[in-house]
Amino acid sequence: MPRTVPIGLNVNGVRHELNVEPRWLLVDVIREVLGLTGTHIGCEHGVCGTCTVLVNGETARSCLMLAVGADGAEILTVEGLSRGDRLHPLQEAFREAQGLQCGFCTPGMLMLAHELLRDNAAPSEQEIREAISANLCRCTGYQGIVEAVRLAATRLATAAAAS
Amino acid sequence: MATVERRWIGKDVPRLEDPKLLAGRATYTDDVRLPGMLHAAVLRSPHPHARITRIDTSQARALPGVFAVITGEDARELTNPLPAFCAEPVVQYALAVDKVRFVGEAVAAVAAVDRYTAEDAAALIEVEYEPLPVVTDPFEAMKPGAAKLHETLPGNLAFEKTLSFGDVTGDFAAADHVIRRTLRWHRASAQPLETAGAVCRFDPIGQRMDVWSNTNMINFVGWLIANTLKVPASKLNIHPMYVGGSFGSKHVLGKVIGIAGMLAKRSGRAVKFMEDRVDNLLASENLGCDRYYDAELAVSKDGIFTSIRVRVVDDYGAYFQFGHGTHGNALAQVTGPYRIPSFEYTVQCVLTNKCQQGVFRGAGSDAGNFCLERLVDAAARELAIDHVEIRRRNFIQPDRFPFKTPCGNIYDSGDYPAVLDKALDMAGYAELRRMQAEARKQGRYIGIGLATAHQRSVYGPTEFWFWYDSPGLTSVPESVGLGLGPTGEFTVTMFSPFWGNSPETVVAQTVAEEFGIHPYQVTVTHEDSQHGLPGAGPGGSRMTVMLTGAVVGASRKLKDKLARIAAHHFEAAPADITFADGRAMVRGVPDKSMTYGDLGLKAYWFKLDLPPGMESGLEARHTYDHPYLTMPSADRKDLGAFYPMMAHGAHIPVVEVEPATGRVRFLRYIAVHDVGTIVNPKSLRGQITGGITQGIGMALYEESAYDQQGQPLTGSFMDYLLPTALEVPAFEIGHVETPSPFTEYGVKGGGEGGRMIAPAAIAAAVEDALAPFGVRVDEVPLTPERIVNLVEAARR
Amino acid sequence: MKPPRFEYFAPRTLDEALGLLAGHGDRAKLLAGGQSLIPLLNFRLAHPEALIDINRIPELGGIRADDGGVAIGALTRQHAVERSEAVRTRVPIVAEACRLIGHLPIRHRGTIGGNLAHADPASELPAVMLALEAQLTVASAKGTRTLPADRFFVGPLSTALQTGEMLTEIRLPGLPARTGGAFVEMARRAGDYALVGVAALVTLDGSGRCRRARVALCGVGPTPIRAGAAEDALVGQTPDGAALDEAAARAAAATSPPSDLHGSADFRRKLARHFARLAIATATERAGRT
Repeated sequence: MPRTVPIGLNVNGVRHELNVEPRWLLVDVIREVLGLTGTHIGCEHGVCGTCTVLVNGETARSCLMLAVGADGAEILTVEGLSRGDRLHPLQEAFREAQGLQCGFCTPGMLMLAHELLRDNAAPSEQEIREAISANLCRCTGYQGIVEAVRLAATRLATAAAAS
Repeated sequence: MATVERRWIGKDVPRLEDPKLLAGRATYTDDVRLPGMLHAAVLRSPHPHARITRIDTSQARALPGVFAVITGEDARELTNPLPAFCAEPVVQYALAVDKVRFVGEAVAAVAAVDRYTAEDAAALIEVEYEPLPVVTDPFEAMKPGAAKLHETLPGNLAFEKTLSFGDVTGDFAAADHVIRRTLRWHRASAQPLETAGAVCRFDPIGQRMDVWSNTNMINFVGWLIANTLKVPASKLNIHPMYVGGSFGSKHVLGKVIGIAGMLAKRSGRAVKFMEDRVDNLLASENLGCDRYYDAELAVSKDGIFTSIRVRVVDDYGAYFQFGHGTHGNALAQVTGPYRIPSFEYTVQCVLTNKCQQGVFRGAGSDAGNFCLERLVDAAARELAIDHVEIRRRNFIQPDRFPFKTPCGNIYDSGDYPAVLDKALDMAGYAELRRMQAEARKQGRYIGIGLATAHQRSVYGPTEFWFWYDSPGLTSVPESVGLGLGPTGEFTVTMFSPFWGNSPETVVAQTVAEEFGIHPYQVTVTHEDSQHGLPGAGPGGSRMTVMLTGAVVGASRKLKDKLARIAAHHFEAAPADITFADGRAMVRGVPDKSMTYGDLGLKAYWFKLDLPPGMESGLEARHTYDHPYLTMPSADRKDLGAFYPMMAHGAHIPVVEVEPATGRVRFLRYIAVHDVGTIVNPKSLRGQITGGITQGIGMALYEESAYDQQGQPLTGSFMDYLLPTALEVPAFEIGHVETPSPFTEYGVKGGGEGGRMIAPAAIAAAVEDALAPFGVRVDEVPLTPERIVNLVEAARR
Repeated sequence: MKPPRFEYFAPRTLDEALGLLAGHGDRAKLLAGGQSLIPLLNFRLAHPEALIDINRIPELGGIRADDGGVAIGALTRQHAVERSEAVRTRVPIVAEACRLIGHLPIRHRGTIGGNLAHADPASELPAVMLALEAQLTVASAKGTRTLPADRFFVGPLSTALQTGEMLTEIRLPGLPARTGGAFVEMARRAGDYALVGVAALVTLDGSGRCRRARVALCGVGPTPIRAGAAEDALVGQTPDGAALDEAAARAAAATSPPSDLHGSADFRRKLARHFARLAIATATERAGRT
């Protein structure tokens, strides 16, 4: 039996104690061990960003992290955005603006957008494009995604002002 | 032009598919988990051409966690050759048998407890090769004495034919000018973010194979896959998956299914094989055409095009899976939107030691548009006629439809002048030219490109075989089931997968339109191949037309039954029953109406209330065949109608080119498309912006390259370059709608147009930017180095 | 594309890490940000027996002011370097170059030390280190030493680090008054490795003439290249017109670029000339504004 290392991961607010092989990539532990298949694999060499999650509040390519390297970290995946049967306002904005087609890059894009809007509540088109240029989309040509993020920024700002 | 006002068709209905995609809860192939499932990895050839002399799998087998190891010997025993849509005996197995023909060809495969272990085992397989001479240049490969890839063929020229329509010789002889160009269209790769994959589970007692895969033609050529897997067709069940993009690259997937299937048989367990990105870049079925054009346009002194002669060499790589289908495809619109009365098309399909071509969005007509529009621009330049004007002079006019092209294909409808006018208007064309002139004085090189080109939709299968003398298949249907349940809920059953297009939304909008309900009252399900009705699936921009047709057909059947039930209840005539606002009603008598819930209850539970002889239940199935497909003539002088739903577009990219570095920057991009009646505008717009982005990739970034020794140069995403959000502009999209007379609602397909038109338009824009240097653009992709070299060559 | 098996260690102190490194020697690799190493593992281009994860050694991180300049711990994330007030005020060219490394998610994890130790010839930071004449602190179980940047990069993906050694700190001297810096590059796409990149630092005297110049290039040789001849062409001159052209030509002449799919050697040389000119001109303009 290959040697395993005990690690603790907090994923979407839930604590997991796991035994992982040191070489297992974080994306594989998220998908295969935790069964959270919303995070996808696109290239496994850090270019496409399909595997993007938040690690301790910062976007990271989970195909370029070892699970052992994430021991003790707080991780947010796409499953952590929606609550029960309610989509997050960011997801609602993507829906309304049709910022997706096949949906494969979408979880990663949502993670980028989530971080962007948290740190920059009113990004310009150029700032949105710079942020999402970290990830590839082969379907949309990015326009729908840019509009979705812009719409989400407006919605989140309105909600913040209201509360 | 008047557009019909409809309740749901033409509306921006947020998609049915999206909530679960957004929540990360859709099931793609890699999300499939079966009890005891193993994972596969593949060992691939490092040689472009070699005989396999020895394979030793003993160390691999001995590795703990490994359950099966297979090689070409297993492929020979367990499978038949992969399906191919060609008549030539080009034989391919899922694992190389006896020899390898390209770097990356699969040689062995392992099934193990996880992918990590499978790759460990693959690294322990020892393979000995005897290298053979390599052919990478198609012109060299065609020569007698060139190293032969396939012993079953006389040489590497797999297919060669000339088709001629009209009086080409006479038209060229009579021409005032003959414009000639040699053009190069490099191979690009579809590269959806989700790779191809399959999970196979085999029951040896029942001889039944279950397949979960992102393959497309589940209900079209599933039986061909059964033949490959050596299981009875009735015992193969392919489960449709959500697909993370295809763009033509996932039509069959015989290799991944074959590998997973063989491993399932050998291991006795379910086996998953997902290509990783390297597998997909090196060895999938996702490569577009790789063409060398030598083309001529005959022109009168007034700039009227009178004939076109195309000679094209296409480098197919090592196998011929889709045959010359991409040339049949190109024939649908060789003459584009112009009145050209004759043409000749000579194709040579050559095999070389590279990965095989597949089909990539545009499917040969993308390159065809590039060829035609480069000739048109060359004619404009040589005759000193404005680029816009020369197109206007040659357009087929709006009163000439349906239009029969020289080869027999029909253009159903169109208004090319209106599309061009709208594009010029949106662009502010005159102002752009003024801005360009000002910029030139400041030493800036701005270019305005124009392409007016076709985007055929809804392919006919005849394009695969009308180059041959004997006939082939003539069916390319799409089916749906439509049910109304006892509680009044509508369900549509689909038999083809979701690729990222919006099939569920299209069917829901169509049902809503037909029955006067809300699209979200429709539930959509997907059926596997054992329960399937015929469906060729997405591709060739066909789904919107085929699904609306299938739904309308099923709706008619269902309405017929509902009308008879309601008529019987109200003692009226079935012809007097209307469907709107969630109910069936006797025309003009609002009191005499029943909700769909009433009708459903009655149909399922109150048999004695039904008209005598009527069955209980409310379900209709309809198979919609190609709405306008005709046979080619025996002498092939008339190829029949095979791609008649002819959509069209005009693109005007505005670029700035930096001659010192070859960098190209988009200032604006205007695109006007006419795809007939639009079903869901945002969905169409997404197809267009995504397609144009792939076209930008083709024009500037993407090339699946090999060196002269057959070694791939683009084996990762660091070298095969997909555009990011910073490489593409915000697109300005406009629409014109000339409905098709042959389809339900007048829809046409619009999924491929972006990629089919953009490369021609961008090539024109770069050429226009560098016009002060006298640069001619004859090649895509235009990498920075190629642009710098063009400028320097022109300066000399 | 999954990594091969390796033994894994996660030391908590520098001494522990150095001890492990001494024990495993060339059979071990250090894991910092992983943005370069893990792709190599996924491609199975690297097969280390042991991986020494140094991410839990706090003494390896941090940025501090250092005698007019800046000292940056090797484990400092590129994003932190980019955002650092000390870096932005004292050596802004480093921040400018960092912004061009990949994309934000990569810079969240990637470290300055990892980037330098990986020594990709197309990487931006090594060229910047040459231009700044950085001093690199290297530690082993036997002690520490300091290497100037121009002796650190030895070949493609190859540094002067001996077996058992690791980079612990990068010390960047402060820049003279009236110095402007610029880093410019051309990549095929935003975030890609540079086809050619140029770091230029120009110090002006009271009359607008160049008192001191540093020009270094990446992507045009087996290592980053310091274009001393270009610098010589600038000193004592007003950096415009003929002097600028001469400097750019000399910078291009100093290169020995690779040829690959993205650019032939000839093309890269042309780009080197173009961007050297641009970098020097921009640095000069910024120096003038100080």
